[in-house]
Order: sequence, then C-alpha cells, then structure tokens
Amino acid sequence: MSTAMNFGSKSFQPRPPDKGSFPLDHFGECKSFKEKFMKCLRDNNFENALCRNESKEYLECRMERQVPASPLTFPFRQLMAQEPLEKLGFGDLIDGKSDKN
Amino acid sequence: MAAAAVGMLGASYAAVPLYRLYCQTTGLGGSAVAGHASDQIENMVPVKDRIIKITFNADVHASLQWNFRPQQTEIYVVPGETALAFYKAKNPTDKPVIGISTYNVVPFEAGQYFNKIQCFCFEEQRLNPQEEVDMPVFFYIDPEFAEDPRMVNVDLITLSYTFFEAKEGHTLPVPGYNSNQQLSPASNL
Repeated sequence: MSTAMNFGSKSFQPRPPDKGSFPLDHFGECKSFKEKFMKCLRDNNFENALCRNESKEYLECRMERQVPASPLTFPFRQLMAQEPLEKLGFGDLIDGKSDKN
Repeated sequence: MAAAAVGMLGASYAAVPLYRLYCQTTGLGGSAVAGHASDQIENMVPVKDRIIKITFNADVHASLQWNFRPQQTEIYVVPGETALAFYKAKNPTDKPVIGISTYNVVPFEAGQYFNKIQCFCFEEQRLNPQEEVDMPVFFYIDPEFAEDPRMVNVDLITLSYTFFEAKEGHTLPVPGYNSNQQLSPASNL
C-alpha cells in the first residue's frame, strides 16, 4: 500500500501467500522428496529450472498426505490442498515430458 | 490527515493478526484469493533469458530460542517459473514453542514482483521439544518483472524470514516500520 504519506523511508509491505500456509510436516513424511530436491539443487548449481521435476514430486507428496489436525480445524487436513499441477506452474511437466534442455 | 495516517498504520498492524485468524478458521486453500492468481500461474510463460539469483536469510527474534536457517544459500530462477526453497527450524528446548514469522524482500522495488504461492509465514507454527521440521516456500517472480525498466539491473533478490515467539497479546511487528515512528494516539495532534 504505497501512499503519499511518507513515513520517512520506503518500507516493504509483506503480503500473505496466495494459498495460505503450509502445515508443518511434523512426521517428515515428505522428507525424502525434499532430500531428493536438495540433492538435485546441489548437483545442478542451484538452478531451479533443472530441478522442477523434483519440486513437483515434493508438492505431490504433500498433496497426498493427510495429517491429524488441531482441534481448531477440520478433523484431517492435507499437508497441502489438492491443486492441479498446471495451477502450480508445472503444466509442462505433465505426461512425463521433461523440460531439461 | 494525522488521523488517516494513524488509521492506515493501525490497519497495517491489524492485517497480520486478522489474516492469521482467517487462516486458522478457514484452514488451507485461501480460496478467496486463489482464483485469479492460479490463472496467472497456469498461463505465465517463463522468461528464460532473465536469470535472477535469490538468496535467503533467516533470523529469529531474541526471545525465540529456535535454530532457524535456510537449507540453500541461493537458487537461480527466471520470472514466470515457480520455485521451491526450504528453511529448517529446530526447537532445542524442552518445552513446546510456538513461533510466527514474517518476511522481507530486498530490493524494495522488486518485492512487488515476488509472489508467494505458499509458505509458512503469518501463521503460528508449533514445534515440540527437540523437534526439527522443514519449512518450504513455494514462490515465483512475476513475469512482468522482465518488462519493468526499473528492474533492468536487478539480478539479485534476497528473501528474509524472521521468526518471533507467538504469545498471548503479542502483536507481530510489521517489517519496515521503525519502532520510533509509531504514532501514539495521545501525541501528534
């Protein structure tokens, strides 16, 4: 919210994430997918474009897992709400097409 | 005019706890805002020749005894491409601790192009004694970044997360507002 009223210096306005917060993976259910992704990054000079399959797999793992939730929420909730892969920016990786070039 | 300023400052402070409340009652999904953002993600085209280095900082407020750090020092992305990064947090104490985080992006002008799809901020996160968890951030740089002439020389963006301990009656400081600029109702009229 930038306005004419300058409080002396420009300040960054944090915004909430589009899809909310990831529940914590308390039991490390998707940890192996994370390890695979981190290894891919280390092997590829931390280039995200070369590790998109691994990041897709991590998020798919989260979408498949159900965890018992706190008394404040629904009885069970996923580690990530189900979302079509295209809406997560993985449209080009569906059908097993690789985007490594 | 001062009243409007106080009102807007108050609204900014209120936004974080209100969002927290919204998230806790409605759970995941954020369906109220997901509509157009998802469409943009689905249709955006990566700008492959515009490589940006993202670096990661992690801080904790002095009263929070967590070990909190990024799991990668940097990652190279391009605008229009979704990216995943991880932080890690451990509670080394013998009591459960609830933390809540906020984030900051520099340079300031690039922050408007930094879109978080999902992360771990603004919502209370509870770590049990000795527990360690991975904390993902799923984000993208808006493709319009590549069209903004002010961004021509920006090839490094730094994402900083800071965790605070969540306590009753504790309000989360919004980054960018110095404490000595807070306006109290009694003054400055």
